[in-house]
Amino acid sequence: MRHLVFLLPALLLLLALPDTRGRYNDDFDDGEDIAEFDDNDFAEFEDVSEDPAVDVEKEPPPRAAPSSTPIEDEEDEATVENEDGQDEFEDADAQDQDMYSKYDNEEFEGHEKTNPSFKDTLIYREVPAHLQNSWESYYMEILMVTGLLAYIMNYIIGKNKNSRLAQAWFNSHRELLESNFALVGDDGTSKEATSTGKLNQENEHIYNLWCSGRVCCEGMLIQLKFLKRQDLLNVLARMMRPVCDQVQVKVTLNDEDMDTFVFAVGSRKAMARLQKEMQDLSEFCGDKPKSGAKYGIPESLSILSEMGEVTDGVMDSKMVHYLTSHADKIESIHFSDQFSGPKVMQEEGQPLKLPETKKTLLFTFNVPGMGNTSPKDMDSLLPLMNMVIYSIDKLKKLRLNREGKQKADRNRARVEENFLKQTHAQRQEAAQTRREEKKRAEKERIMNEEDPDRQRRLEEAAQRREQKKLEKKQMKMKQIKVKAMS
Amino acid sequence: MYWITVVAHLTYPIYCLTSYKPPNTETNPTLEDPTPDYMNLLGMIFSMCGLMLKLKWCAWIAVYCSFISFANSRSSEDTKQMMSSFMLSISAVVMSYLQNPQPMSPPW
Repeated sequence: MRHLVFLLPALLLLLALPDTRGRYNDDFDDGEDIAEFDDNDFAEFEDVSEDPAVDVEKEPPPRAAPSSTPIEDEEDEATVENEDGQDEFEDADAQDQDMYSKYDNEEFEGHEKTNPSFKDTLIYREVPAHLQNSWESYYMEILMVTGLLAYIMNYIIGKNKNSRLAQAWFNSHRELLESNFALVGDDGTSKEATSTGKLNQENEHIYNLWCSGRVCCEGMLIQLKFLKRQDLLNVLARMMRPVCDQVQVKVTLNDEDMDTFVFAVGSRKAMARLQKEMQDLSEFCGDKPKSGAKYGIPESLSILSEMGEVTDGVMDSKMVHYLTSHADKIESIHFSDQFSGPKVMQEEGQPLKLPETKKTLLFTFNVPGMGNTSPKDMDSLLPLMNMVIYSIDKLKKLRLNREGKQKADRNRARVEENFLKQTHAQRQEAAQTRREEKKRAEKERIMNEEDPDRQRRLEEAAQRREQKKLEKKQMKMKQIKVKAMS
Repeated sequence: MYWITVVAHLTYPIYCLTSYKPPNTETNPTLEDPTPDYMNLLGMIFSMCGLMLKLKWCAWIAVYCSFISFANSRSSEDTKQMMSSFMLSISAVVMSYLQNPQPMSPPW
């Protein structure tokens, strides 16, 4: 009985094993031919239809080896091949992959063959530039900062140069001005006119000087209009188109200091421009600029004048001498009793009133050097200041004869008439709106009146006024008709 | 000494002193240079673009505009306006780099 007990499980085991193996094989074999029995322990797992590119490991993986060895020992009497036992652990990962590749695809869902990517080239992602330890990637920023530094450097240099030029001009002209004017340099901040004795800086490139206290003139404003050397953009623009520094002298005269005329002399380009821009030159000097050669001054200068008598009076020998010797420095000289500045373009059309005029002498001089001025060049402008003083004194004495005066008065009347005609419609409209406003205000006042009696009385008074106005109008119309008929 | 000055006074020509009056730029707008005002406005627009749209180049241009506006400004102009425009442009640059530290890429 005991023998039977021991024999029975052994028999059962012997009988079961082939079945399990067979079943096992069926599960993995997928209906195909059973793999050839290699010496390989896992021949039964081998998939014959596999991709030949995949390496098939002939060496058995270590962990599978122990489980299968007792079976084989009993059945096939095969020797266990334990090749390269140490290396098996190193190639574990690769062998795992190959092991998976031998499995049937249907057995595992969602398992993707990723091993090909392992063998392809690795993609190196670039480290973001701001995490790198180099400043080279920030070259645009460095460029910007360099540009800013260059701008600041240019600002400092330009500002200093302009300041030096202004000071040089003032030093060379100070004596002349102080001998001619009681007040030299006033910034207008104090209530009383006080002589500061220095230039008034309006900008980094514009310097003003107000002089007053002289016979024959109310005051003189000198503006040193330098180039914008402190602005790098302007410096670069000037490289394309050279421009000069300018000195502008504006002398305002009292009413008795000058007769009524308009006159200008200067470079041809400047004269053409001024004739279009300036209000008085466009109105009183309608003819084209005449060449200066007729009066003994260089061809490069041309003259705009209200009448010939004025030109003859202004162009005396000394003036001609000044103009001839300094023709390159003179941009324009403008004498006018109707000076109101450049033409003002108004949006609503013509202005309703004639612009205010002032008797003015306006001189514009170019500083020699064409931008590359040095402080020494300022001395060469001194004779021109002498010319200014001479002109002030001369114009005080210059008087038109009777004919000239009549012509001048006629011109002024003509200009005024033209202006009034052009603005007639606008002035009428303005008057109409004013009347309507008045009426509306009165009506509102009546409406706001609380007392009914007073309200009635005010209404009656307004009606009576309206009636009177109508009657007056009718009378006027009658008179006009009678005049027209007679 | 007294009588000398009296004589000098009698012979000195009579004149009158007039105080300086700055020209009224409202009646004559052609006298005014509009560059600083335009540059100020441009600077503010570019800084707002740089801040809102996170554009680094806008912020840098705003800095340049405020510098140009400062260089062309009149001495009578309010420094507060200049300073506020300058500060705004600097803040635009700083904010755009804090949000995105990557360097600016050129447009080409």
